[in-house]
Amino acid sequence: MKSQLQRGGQTMINLIKNEWMKIFKRPGTYVMIGILLAIVCIFGAIEKYEVKGNNSSPDNRWEQNLKQENNALKQQAKSAQTKTEKDFYKQKIVINEYRLKHNIPPDATTYHIWDFVNDAGGLIQLAGLFTIIISAGIVASEFNWGTIKLLLIRPISRVMILLSKYVTVLLFALLMLSILFVFATVVGAFLFGFPEQTSSYLNYVNGKVTEQNMVLHLMIYYGLNSINMIMLTTMAFMISSVFRNSSLAIGISIFLLLTGAQITTLLAIKFSWAKYLLFANTDLTQYFEGTPVVDGMTLGFSIIMLLLYFLVFQALAFSVFKKRDVAA
Amino acid sequence: MKSIIELKEVTKVIKGRKIIDNISFKVNKGEVFGFLGPNGAGKTTTIRMMVGLMGITSGDIEIAGHSIKTRFEDAVRYVGAIVENPEMYKFMSGYDNLIHFARMSKRITKEKINEVVALVGLTDRIHDKVKTYSLGMRQRLGLAQCLLHDPEVLILDEPTNGLDPAGIREIRDYLRLLAREKNMAVIVSSHLLSEMEMMCDRIGIIQNGRLIDVQFVKEFVQTDKQSYEFEVIPSEKAMILFQTSFPDVRLIRSSNGITVEVKKEEIPNIVKILVEADFQIFSIKEVAKTLEDRFLEVTAAKGGTNHD
Repeated sequence: MKSQLQRGGQTMINLIKNEWMKIFKRPGTYVMIGILLAIVCIFGAIEKYEVKGNNSSPDNRWEQNLKQENNALKQQAKSAQTKTEKDFYKQKIVINEYRLKHNIPPDATTYHIWDFVNDAGGLIQLAGLFTIIISAGIVASEFNWGTIKLLLIRPISRVMILLSKYVTVLLFALLMLSILFVFATVVGAFLFGFPEQTSSYLNYVNGKVTEQNMVLHLMIYYGLNSINMIMLTTMAFMISSVFRNSSLAIGISIFLLLTGAQITTLLAIKFSWAKYLLFANTDLTQYFEGTPVVDGMTLGFSIIMLLLYFLVFQALAFSVFKKRDVAA
Repeated sequence: MKSIIELKEVTKVIKGRKIIDNISFKVNKGEVFGFLGPNGAGKTTTIRMMVGLMGITSGDIEIAGHSIKTRFEDAVRYVGAIVENPEMYKFMSGYDNLIHFARMSKRITKEKINEVVALVGLTDRIHDKVKTYSLGMRQRLGLAQCLLHDPEVLILDEPTNGLDPAGIREIRDYLRLLAREKNMAVIVSSHLLSEMEMMCDRIGIIQNGRLIDVQFVKEFVQTDKQSYEFEVIPSEKAMILFQTSFPDVRLIRSSNGITVEVKKEEIPNIVKILVEADFQIFSIKEVAKTLEDRFLEVTAAKGGTNHD
């Protein structure tokens, strides 16, 4: 039983090697990585240009400023209409108080490496776009090339083949995210330098503030922001295996990647069923720093919804791929 | 001889249409089996079912005793195949393509890959990208791909498609060699009859999804009845005479006279009758019948009656 499992594992590794080879023997992949690197550089240059004038020396009067700010915030909180707004002010006040108490000056005055890595998190969309392109092609291309016929007449079940392709897509997503994170750190260090004191991130959860290592915080931040991309990549993978059409998969997935969140937010204003939509649940940061799209949503609810969508996508992909007559 | 692949009453229905209707046959080790039929007869569909690319509606296919339906992995490991054109990853080298497929079977060494490459004569070009290959070279790479794991059954769909005469000859000799030396069962499909005649030991004829005949090529071409062309004048009257004297005999009016299908021993008798009836006989020629003629005959007769 164990040796059988080992052999299965070896087969899986071989299949993933194959998929990886097919991705990296195509020049398009390097173009994508090149574009990602270039955009990080351009983004860095723009930020550098923008913050040039704003970077002042550390503020000596920050304690006084914070107190003033808190007083103003308290006023605003009183006049706030909605719960969302009240929560927003409350969070700011609590974090400011924590800074005063523990003598941690706000680092808003100086723009440094971690701010840049944080801002570069917006480029996860771009990494997502490239991953979707790979994901949409990984099954459909085999049909287009006609190579599916050679692929499926090996002593390996179709489930294993499709699984190896999905795992490869996930690995590619991880690679793109790592490239983005590492390269943003390098560019950030080069352009903006490290802060004078090791900074930690102040987390606000349920009215309490906790300190967190900055790099760890940013990794979690990147991870949480990748959920959207992973779900859309899975959807593209599903469309690709069900319809054997990569253009369709790319088209739908990228359209939703760019507009899904906005459409859902608009719907959420009017309809409470919007909370069942995929994009109402992909942003888990809403539970850590911010407020849910629809009132009454919880972290648990979102995770269950995400799992459901994921299972539906995979069930569709695998059941169709397993049964299909290959006549391409 | 031992059979290695067996089709048992295989039927395929797609969208309510019977594409393949109750086909059964066996192919033995060490033989080249031809699968012959006009375009759209169901050759490729049958081959796709044999390698598990298509499901089987009813019936079963067993390879080395394993059902392709229920034990796909055990069955397909004995098979090497090219279905239609040998499409490879064009953006990779021939060698990378072989590495790719070698990884999908167990225990294929680098030496084995090099050996197969040498065997199909691609050693010089194997590290070039496949998109620079000619059709013949792709065909050979396709062959290399299905020989990697020493299969016992080789299934090739239209293997000589698009090859020049030299390439066709090469493939033909090579397949015969594999069957003879390595005791492989080779199944080839084609609509080119002359091709099959030279390549195969046995052929199965398929038409409209039905297997209408399986015969040894030798027997198939050389039936005991031969055709003879009689150049006689007046030919119209001779026709009538033939019809009355030999009502069972097949007659064809040809440009030079009448082609008659009879046994050789009958000829003196026919000549006698003709001479006695005062016909002028200029020549009697034996018409060598090719597989093509037989094929048309068989498909016309059996396919025609079956067509309902």
